[in-house]
Amino acid sequence: MYFSNDAVQVDLDHSYLASPDTAKNHAKGIFDEMGVKPKFYEPKNFTASSLPDISTNFDYLCCPRSVSDISSKIGLGHLGPKVRRLIKHGTFPVLITSPVYKPWKSISVFFGGSKNALNALKLGLKISMASGLPLDIYTLLEKKDESYYKDLVKKDGLEDPVSQISTHWHFYKKQDFDSMLYDVTHNSLIVLGAYGHGIIKDILLGSKMEKIQSTVTNNLLVTGPNCSVSLP
Amino acid sequence: MELSVIELSKHLGVAPNTIERWVRQGNLPVSKKGENFKFRANELEKWAVKHNIKLNLSDKKEPKKETQTVVSLTDAVQKGGVYFDISGNDVQSVLLASIEKNNEIPEDFKIDLLERLVEREKALSTGIGNGFAIPHPREQLSYLESPMVSICFLDHPVDYKALDNKPVSILFFILCPELKMHLHLLSALSFCLRDAEFIAFLETRPELDQLIKKIETIQKANPV
Amino acid sequence: MTVIKNWYQSIYHKLFQMDDRLLLIIAGSIAGICSGLAAVALRLSLEHVLEFLHPFRNYWWAFALPAVGAMLSSLYLEKVAREGAGHGVPEVIYSVSRYGGLLRFRSSFSRLISSFLTIGSGGSAGPEAPVVMSGSAIGSNLAKFLRLNDRQRITLVGCGTAGAIASIFNAPIAGLVFSVEVILGEWKFVNIIPIAIAAVAGAEISQAIIPEQVLFNHQTFHVGFSDILPSLCLAMVTALVSVFFTKVLRQTGKMAKKTSFPLWIRAIIGGCTVGIIAIFMPIVLAEGYHSIQSMISQTFSMGIFLAFVAIFAKIFATAMTLGWGGSGGIFAPCLVIGSLTGVVFHKSLSMIIPSIACASEGAYALLGMTGLVSGVMQAPLTGIFLIVEITGGYETILPLIIVSSISSTMSHYIEPASFYFKELIERGQFLRPGTDARILSDLNIRELIETGHVTVSENMVFREFINMLKTSGQNFFPVIEDQTDEYKGVIQISAIRKYALDPAMYDMVFLNQVMETEVLTASLDNDLQEVLDMMDINNMDSILVVENDRFVGMISKTKILDLYRRELIMQTSVH
Repeated sequence: MYFSNDAVQVDLDHSYLASPDTAKNHAKGIFDEMGVKPKFYEPKNFTASSLPDISTNFDYLCCPRSVSDISSKIGLGHLGPKVRRLIKHGTFPVLITSPVYKPWKSISVFFGGSKNALNALKLGLKISMASGLPLDIYTLLEKKDESYYKDLVKKDGLEDPVSQISTHWHFYKKQDFDSMLYDVTHNSLIVLGAYGHGIIKDILLGSKMEKIQSTVTNNLLVTGPNCSVSLP
Repeated sequence: MELSVIELSKHLGVAPNTIERWVRQGNLPVSKKGENFKFRANELEKWAVKHNIKLNLSDKKEPKKETQTVVSLTDAVQKGGVYFDISGNDVQSVLLASIEKNNEIPEDFKIDLLERLVEREKALSTGIGNGFAIPHPREQLSYLESPMVSICFLDHPVDYKALDNKPVSILFFILCPELKMHLHLLSALSFCLRDAEFIAFLETRPELDQLIKKIETIQKANPV
Repeated sequence: MTVIKNWYQSIYHKLFQMDDRLLLIIAGSIAGICSGLAAVALRLSLEHVLEFLHPFRNYWWAFALPAVGAMLSSLYLEKVAREGAGHGVPEVIYSVSRYGGLLRFRSSFSRLISSFLTIGSGGSAGPEAPVVMSGSAIGSNLAKFLRLNDRQRITLVGCGTAGAIASIFNAPIAGLVFSVEVILGEWKFVNIIPIAIAAVAGAEISQAIIPEQVLFNHQTFHVGFSDILPSLCLAMVTALVSVFFTKVLRQTGKMAKKTSFPLWIRAIIGGCTVGIIAIFMPIVLAEGYHSIQSMISQTFSMGIFLAFVAIFAKIFATAMTLGWGGSGGIFAPCLVIGSLTGVVFHKSLSMIIPSIACASEGAYALLGMTGLVSGVMQAPLTGIFLIVEITGGYETILPLIIVSSISSTMSHYIEPASFYFKELIERGQFLRPGTDARILSDLNIRELIETGHVTVSENMVFREFINMLKTSGQNFFPVIEDQTDEYKGVIQISAIRKYALDPAMYDMVFLNQVMETEVLTASLDNDLQEVLDMMDINNMDSILVVENDRFVGMISKTKILDLYRRELIMQTSVH
């Protein structure tokens, strides 16, 4: 995948798929069950004769936690480096799936006040509007108080949509991070921004993101720093 | 002055993602601000000159709304007024009498207007039938400030060579400073003149206020 | 942490606020040094491993050595590095033209390793293409680290390439020329200076590390006017040889792809063949710098017939190595074949006309090299400057220019696309800046699409539609289903004119009876080229874009012309 500033090679052959030959049929099977007609992506251009170029014009990208070179780290619940790079450069949100299939009953947005978090909030609102699922916002009070976060939302013109949809806004003290994670219901889709400020955190995703994704088993929808979300 | 991607895309007339691609390819001077690109006006102007691209940042190029066409019939009638007791036995004399009565037309141009109206009638009669005629000149009358429709009730019906050969008793003068308004007023007026109720109402030779109210009700009932 | 961050940001900002050129020059020289180091590393390690393996060449199983090397190299590329096969130069060109020179980080070392395995074991291939790949990937990744834009990144890719070539031949101008002529394809003022500096940096690095100052030592040649006629003839011979070489390379590659063996078996077959040829003709082994050296310094011992056979042996061996799964470039084989051709030409010339007063055999070896480089790569300037720099003087420049221009023109006449570009042209990926193909590939459907069209429901009564028409300026009305918004068809005003003027129809029909369903539509995935073809064939002025059964917008030729022109201005204007 060629992004504006990076090229990420994602191999889907013997090394990452148990049996590539049946993968297509398997995917079809899953779609048929849901009554959706799948459209398979046919790459048009090739970098070398055997390497397809994949478009980066997607609305969402779904990938397992483990698209990775280093398998040992995945065993510990870390995100693979490929997934990080996809999140970092992608203009689309990345859905990191949970190990088992769980239909979502609600949407939870982790809102920490950064630009990415605002994007995540927008995305949460968008999905909530489209699906009609209830939306919960979780905020960890780090240095500021509740009104600071509410002002942030107001400044971005998100106050109206937030109040229109029945949302609950939960606030937690700084040290209650773990209890916040445990409070999120297991069948809720977590929408969060990859916390990227500055150079160090651009390279490693934020430590919180790492912690969240290794603690909860929910589906995670991650908006990266290049991700753009607009409300309908 | 700083511009965002969206603003610049409007100035250049290209899609926002074209702007983003140009930035990525390094074709546009950009002063980066976080994830949202910002452009400095003076840098952009230099760039535009260098690339021979037309770019006028100071003047927002809003496409000119055609305000002229939204002149309403009621306004025009208000301006033009209603005149009674027009005497005369043929086309030329009724036209002359009507023009003489009309105070809105500058005195100096009355003769010229009459000539034009008569010429128009010679080419093709404006009598549309049912005893109505819509005399108007073929050229725009740039000396008028605003369009007007003046309604003149004749003393005696005049043979106007109308479409249905009926003699004409009411004249609707459409006098416009621009041709576009003319078309609009003509269409609005002829719409009213097809309304049976309005025709009957005209027979009563109403005053200006009543007439305008009637036109308003007709237009409200049939929004364009 | 915040201190470091602020410090980084202020430094970063200052770098950006400096003139773009200064930044590019600094970054370019870094790229040049790094790629120069990579090139030197490959060259030195190749020399050592060849020396190390030399004693084993006498054993009977020596023919299997290239096979083992080629197998390891193909396995490495396929399983470890997971990169496409091939020598990589088209990949770099493609990336430069389509993705602003984005290359994967792994490319900066993977080709070095694989070509080291191939060539070190004796496979007939050149180390230049891998070094170019690696140098350009270094430049690209440096640009990525500095977060430069596409234009700057392309310059750095050029810098990396120039540094690599300059370093491996110790020829800075050849590096510059190769980078601009073959890789970038456009001579732009802003590119030239950083690339020149990178090339010099690369050459300096190679001089600093490798003590021998010139790759090919030689004595001064005396080339006179009497050599002009022979060099004309030589040019024609080299042109023929280069076309033959290109054809054989491509044919063997195609043949290998037809076989059903996995890549590593193919590599073994190719390697074995090379090994067996090498038993009779050791000159075909490896990159062949030593044999070139001996030909230039006129210590070459082969007779005319043997040398003649060697030309074809080398061509065949190279084709077997590269086409059947080995990894490496064609630059060095070109030089070997070229110098062999030159030597054979000189020998036969002096045999036919013994009294001829022409230059020495070494000089003709050099001319032959130029001829082959110009002919195969169709890069005449690279050929000229490389030889000028290798010989370290301008005494041969006149015949060099003659040979190079005639050879490239003739081979261009027979085979219009050069070896590097052929593959790209076949796939429609040869996108030089300012060309039609490039503009069409840059313009995305999403950029051209006009939205904001009013859609109508398929259950609308025709009268309602006619009323809507009165206030609308649209010429196309997409018809959609009520609930799902699914696209059903389209109403073109031009097509319904006769019903529109017949009021009797107004209350009789619904829109789904009036609409056309067979109209061609484009999707967001289509390239502009495809959309334009579609419009041309069907004589359409505008086309609907439908994605996932939803109407998205329209593309009109007017809009395309507008944006095409802007894009052309953008790409061709001088920076």
